[in-house]
Amino acid sequence: MLSLWLGAYDQGLAYAGLALGTYLTLRVLNFPDLTVDGSFALGGGAAAMLISEGVPVPLSLAMAVFFGFLAGMVTGLIHTRLGVNELFAGILTTTGLYSITLRLMGRSNIPLTDTPAGILHLPDLGMGLDGRWAVGFSLVVLGLVLLSALLLATDFGLALRALGNNPTMARANGINQRRGLTLGIAAANGLVALSGALVATYQGFADVTMGIGSLILGLGMVIVGESVLRPKSIPWALGAVVLGAVLFRALIAIALQLGLEPVDLKLTTALLLLVALAFGRLRLPGVSDPGGTNR
Amino acid sequence: MSLRVEQLAWGHPLPGGDWRQLFRDFSFHCPQGQFVVVIGSNGSGKSTLLNLVAGTLKAGAGSIHLGDRALERRRDHARARWIGRVMQNPLEGSCPGLTVAENLRLAERRHRPALGWGGLVGLHPNGADRRRYRTLLDDLGVPLAHRLDEPVGQLSGGQRQTLSLVMATLGCPELLLLDEHTAALDPRAEASVIALTERLVRQLGTTTLMVTHSLDQALSYGDRLVMLHEGRLHGDWTAAERAGLSAEALRGFYGSATMVNSAAQSSDGPASP
Repeated sequence: MLSLWLGAYDQGLAYAGLALGTYLTLRVLNFPDLTVDGSFALGGGAAAMLISEGVPVPLSLAMAVFFGFLAGMVTGLIHTRLGVNELFAGILTTTGLYSITLRLMGRSNIPLTDTPAGILHLPDLGMGLDGRWAVGFSLVVLGLVLLSALLLATDFGLALRALGNNPTMARANGINQRRGLTLGIAAANGLVALSGALVATYQGFADVTMGIGSLILGLGMVIVGESVLRPKSIPWALGAVVLGAVLFRALIAIALQLGLEPVDLKLTTALLLLVALAFGRLRLPGVSDPGGTNR
Repeated sequence: MSLRVEQLAWGHPLPGGDWRQLFRDFSFHCPQGQFVVVIGSNGSGKSTLLNLVAGTLKAGAGSIHLGDRALERRRDHARARWIGRVMQNPLEGSCPGLTVAENLRLAERRHRPALGWGGLVGLHPNGADRRRYRTLLDDLGVPLAHRLDEPVGQLSGGQRQTLSLVMATLGCPELLLLDEHTAALDPRAEASVIALTERLVRQLGTTTLMVTHSLDQALSYGDRLVMLHEGRLHGDWTAAERAGLSAEALRGFYGSATMVNSAAQSSDGPASP
């Protein structure tokens, strides 16, 4: 039983980057970004390909972040420079990323048989390999949360928050909306791609379809975290999102334990999110009507 | 800085495919430090003129100079380094999800791009920022110093508009654009905001364009009163000339098809008083 919870904790932390990226685009920038489905698989595929070619794991993860950053930047540029609707911009990038990821990987699935050496050097806390993963992921996610909190507390982060809150006012105060959106979406997809890379490393393989449903998964994690902690500040919100990722994976572990078929997981996730939207407790740009007043 | 608008052209499509050319060869000069009140009927081009100067609308032709600086090729966020704006809707002038201090920090940072490397240095608003904002608000008599850490969404419309005005004048902009900024306020808040406007404009000596529908304000504030009608300068009065006008007379000019006074025929308008 402990192994089940520890596994859920590890997976939750591996997915925390996805949740943080979703939070950054959806809550901070107020931008419904569908690129995450593509950038998650891109990160996983790129990292798996590089690791299987003998590139050190840290460098492979850094490259995955870079590729995700580029993917997000493409969506941002399509939206801000070409004036393409935010949803379509994400769909266009994600569609293109499928081929790019497949090209990078060379095949649809790359197995990773060896546990990264860095993980084996970590203390196991008396819980074996899962304990080592828990320590490794905890350190990485703590770093991500700290970095994100610091970024959002600078003038740069304040400008991003202003763009999501009131773009007209932000521009009236000298903030370049095109640059802000592009950099913000790029940073978010860098986090998502890192998450894809961590998941691939943890589960021991990357698949070109591993990104399908990532946005819904990320949304679910953000909602669960915000519902539990009801954060009033940015650092708390980031912590809530990470907690949401862990709780969401725990919920999935419980559902599987209760006999849910793995093939039904994405349907269950989608239905849960739909219920939350229908009850009007959630306001998402481009997804739900503001105030729930229309129709 | 002086504002010089020359041979400005701007139009927009109408439903049904027709085109309405609002501004055609429109020229206007506002000397440095002048406080100009702009009136006119709905659709006369008052807010459009402000939007063209601020860069939220792109002119079809013509030039806009702030001092020696050509504005027409710069986007709105770039112009914001020199131009402070307060909009009609109190909800538009600030970020409701950010605190009062965070909004003031955004405005204070207007002159330097926040989205560059420099924006990553230091955490803001910090303690020193807060002390500075507290002093500023106290000096201006704005009762928001004790609410620096509250989200702006919790403020009343009058308080938000007061904050917007403080933000727009923070860092001494070279031009201040006020677009019916008291229209959505109750009489008490209106009086408070307009008094603060007058005080800030006089203290800073900022060149100011203030659009209003209030004839009381038109007859009481500013160095110069101009009236727009269908994208043309319809009337132009110095403060001394305005003293001879009444609200009734101004109201009568709204429907007049011809120019109201000879000063409006001059592209530069009257000299600064």
